[in-house]
Amino acid sequence: MARIDGTGSPIPRILRAIALVVVLVFFLFPILWIFLMSFQTNETILAIPPSLAFTPTLINYTSLISGHLQTAAGSLDLPFMHNLFNSVLLSSVSVLVSLVLGVPAAYAFARFRFRLGEDIAFTLLSFRFAPPLLVLLPLSLYFKDLGLANTYTGLIWVYQLICLPLILWIVRGYFEDASPDVEYAYRVDGHSWWRAFTRIAIPLAGPGIAAAGLLAFIFAWNNFVFALILASADKQPVTVGALAFVTASGIQYGQIAAAIVLSIMPTLALALYAQRWLVEGLSLGAVKG
Amino acid sequence: MSDTTHSTPAAVSGPRSARLLPYLLSLPALLVCVGILVPFVTAAYYSLQRYKLSMPQRRGFIWFDQYWNFFNDADFWHTVYVSMLYTVSTVGVELLLGLGIALLLRERSKVNNAASVALLLPLMTAPAIAALMWKLMTNPGFGVLSWVISLFGVTDFKWASAPSSAMFTVVLVDVWVYTPFIMILLLAGLRSLPTQPFEAAKLDGVPAHFVFFRITLPMLMPYMVTATLFRLLDSIQQFDIVYAMTQGGPGDSLLLFQVSAYLDFFQYTNVGRSAALMMILWAITYALSNVFIKQWLKLRERTHGAH
Amino acid sequence: MNGLDIHGLRVAFGRNELLKGIDLTVAPGETLVLFGPSGCGKTVLLRAIAGLEPAARANVRIAGRDVSTLGPESRGLGMAFQNFALYPHMTARENIASPLQARNVTPADIETRVNEVAALLRITHVLGHSPKELSNGQKQRTALARALVGKPKVLLLDDPLRNVDAKLRYEMRLELPRLLRAAGAATIYVSQDYREAMGLADRVAILLDGHIAQLAPPEEIYDAPNSVKVARLFGDPPINLLPCRPVAGPRGVAVSAAGWQINLAVERGAAGRSCLLGIRPEAIALSQSEQPGAARAQLIATTPLHERLVVLLRAATGEEVVASVLGAVPPPGSAVWLMADTTHALLFDAESGARIPAVAQMVEHAA
Repeated sequence: MARIDGTGSPIPRILRAIALVVVLVFFLFPILWIFLMSFQTNETILAIPPSLAFTPTLINYTSLISGHLQTAAGSLDLPFMHNLFNSVLLSSVSVLVSLVLGVPAAYAFARFRFRLGEDIAFTLLSFRFAPPLLVLLPLSLYFKDLGLANTYTGLIWVYQLICLPLILWIVRGYFEDASPDVEYAYRVDGHSWWRAFTRIAIPLAGPGIAAAGLLAFIFAWNNFVFALILASADKQPVTVGALAFVTASGIQYGQIAAAIVLSIMPTLALALYAQRWLVEGLSLGAVKG
Repeated sequence: MSDTTHSTPAAVSGPRSARLLPYLLSLPALLVCVGILVPFVTAAYYSLQRYKLSMPQRRGFIWFDQYWNFFNDADFWHTVYVSMLYTVSTVGVELLLGLGIALLLRERSKVNNAASVALLLPLMTAPAIAALMWKLMTNPGFGVLSWVISLFGVTDFKWASAPSSAMFTVVLVDVWVYTPFIMILLLAGLRSLPTQPFEAAKLDGVPAHFVFFRITLPMLMPYMVTATLFRLLDSIQQFDIVYAMTQGGPGDSLLLFQVSAYLDFFQYTNVGRSAALMMILWAITYALSNVFIKQWLKLRERTHGAH
Repeated sequence: MNGLDIHGLRVAFGRNELLKGIDLTVAPGETLVLFGPSGCGKTVLLRAIAGLEPAARANVRIAGRDVSTLGPESRGLGMAFQNFALYPHMTARENIASPLQARNVTPADIETRVNEVAALLRITHVLGHSPKELSNGQKQRTALARALVGKPKVLLLDDPLRNVDAKLRYEMRLELPRLLRAAGAATIYVSQDYREAMGLADRVAILLDGHIAQLAPPEEIYDAPNSVKVARLFGDPPINLLPCRPVAGPRGVAVSAAGWQINLAVERGAAGRSCLLGIRPEAIALSQSEQPGAARAQLIATTPLHERLVVLLRAATGEEVVASVLGAVPPPGSAVWLMADTTHALLFDAESGARIPAVAQMVEHAA
């Protein structure tokens, strides 16, 4: 699109460039700084003024990965890799469960106009905006009674609160955009409903399902409050684990930075990979990028 | 003709199982719904009780006393005030900043596209982790930001550790995380606007500020309203950033709704008050989300075509 | 009954009843064209027959077998959709093979039959292509091949020529009768083009306001539509309808409209009532000199339609008349004389819209 303002004269162009640099610095500097910090020893981190001239070290990562840290004060156990494992497990299984539950429902809501369907779809949507603690606090008491407290099963169940509305509404949009005639044609050819669903509807909505799954993974990974309330140390994902780690290790800033880098890398990488669908996912399918 | 059709009862079309199909398909989603509604109803029930985990023998029904007590409860009004302050400042700043950046990146060029993707990274960072990152950067001992402001002669700025600047610090982190959300929605909106009005305005030599206020802004309004409502809903419920940064402190300076309810529950084991607080927050978000969903559906229809 | 038999078909969406009890019978090898304005429910009717419309209530029999409670996959019919509805992630060959695969036909037989039907529709050279790579005409033929390959007893074609260009449409109109005869199925063909109906149909069913308004061979619908609505619908350019009040005449009634004095051999009951005189544009001829029985008119505008010219005229008495003529006409503004071929003139009751029936035998007696 042609620009309306700032035609011709170079000054607006220069001002825009400066503004862009300022914006980029503000939003990217923290990530860059923590990244650099994760390759430094505590001595260089604590140096004032901060310096970019340091010898990079992998010590923070190796101690995180090995799970042990030798310090002057003695040996420290770092359960962080287990948190990372929990994050991977909780996020991926939650997304899988959500896809299994959500894709057929999304299909039903898109193809059949029925009252109950709309009710479910909008109830789930409004849950997305209800305060999580409202549900979590009573749930923490229920979970104790049901034996679900501090279990992967319980957490994955609650994670549906994040994943399901997202998958339901994005995938529904993709099903709605595909002409039902193609499925009808397949049915008339003599194929059962199930085959039309698996061989026609799902492949045609494939990109949408993949995008919704990726985004649900990101949001599940970034969740904090569910596991904070419902999980103890051995089931906690990185978001809660990193906080506990800060409290426990106190001054091991290099390791904290490395833990942060490991915690955010997967979602940042996925986001870059799925950037085409991010707008759609962030708006729950209402806006396309 | 109608006589003949009435005399033979017309069969249903298709097998009976086909009519049950949609219900069958949505059953799992329905169960999840019900599973969430149960604790919700429980919370409403708790909010009508005097219920402290530490004093189970004093548990009893007090109906709406918990809510009436809020009227004279300075802590409650403080929570309302802090939550509103947090919500209005974060969403206000994010809307202005997001709009500005979206306008900056409006033109489709390689640099702009790369920048808009790079700007999404803070949004993809877990808010709790983002708070930790800023905590490291604002550490009074070695934090790079503390050092930067000391270059400007500011040495007694304590960021999140002082009551006076704690709000500023968490708002800053929220702005860092969520401005890209507004930016990316408005950018998608800007880029989807029809080009004809702008070309016509250009041909007519309409001044830039007039184009912005009379064409761009009104046409972008649905996107701005949806993005703002979305953020309002999230911001008034903020927990992760504040909890990871200061756990509601120092003192009571950051006791937002959810943080306050969390502490009521786990620190003071006051289940009743915690539940009542959450019910009030729920009522606010429910009203907001009804407005939001209407706007959101309009945008959705525009994207997917009317169904 | 061997072909397709539909009885009491109703479709209602909430309170809006779209189809209000349709009865239709189509014999094997017969082509019934379903004709009606857009939105009248033609596609919904086809979908209801195929078992794709959950809101439908109907008794449907195919070759004597009651399929009313069966799903679309068990009804054993072939269907072509207006938007082709090809499977975008499969090749043309896989698209056509789909109905055979559903029936567990052996791969060798599938191969043979797909090749046969592809040769019949002349798409052998594009069988390996995906739908994206096909032209509209090839998509159309692939969709038809898919509907035909299973040798279904009932064939439902939903305006298959709607989305192809004019040249291809004519080509297919010439080819389709042969294909449909070879298929031998009871065929329902949805169309909005009366020429297509004239060319393809053994019978035409006019669908109006949720009912079959008229069911007859196409010539009969053209020559003797049973209501104003049918007359207006079936014909292009649409029929001229001139308000008139007939008086009793020697062999029926006498009508005066647009400057014509016409005797019609229809029931005398129409005399004195408010009527509409229907004259097809094709039944009007132009002359530049005065002729006996001709009406004076001024030529307003012309536009070509196929090999004919459509001419808009204003009669000296004020009515607008459309004529469709062969050959040259004078320039706009010219004064002309209009001659109507009154053997095909129709008279409708203005209030009820019903056609005033002819009294053909009485005319013969009188002669």
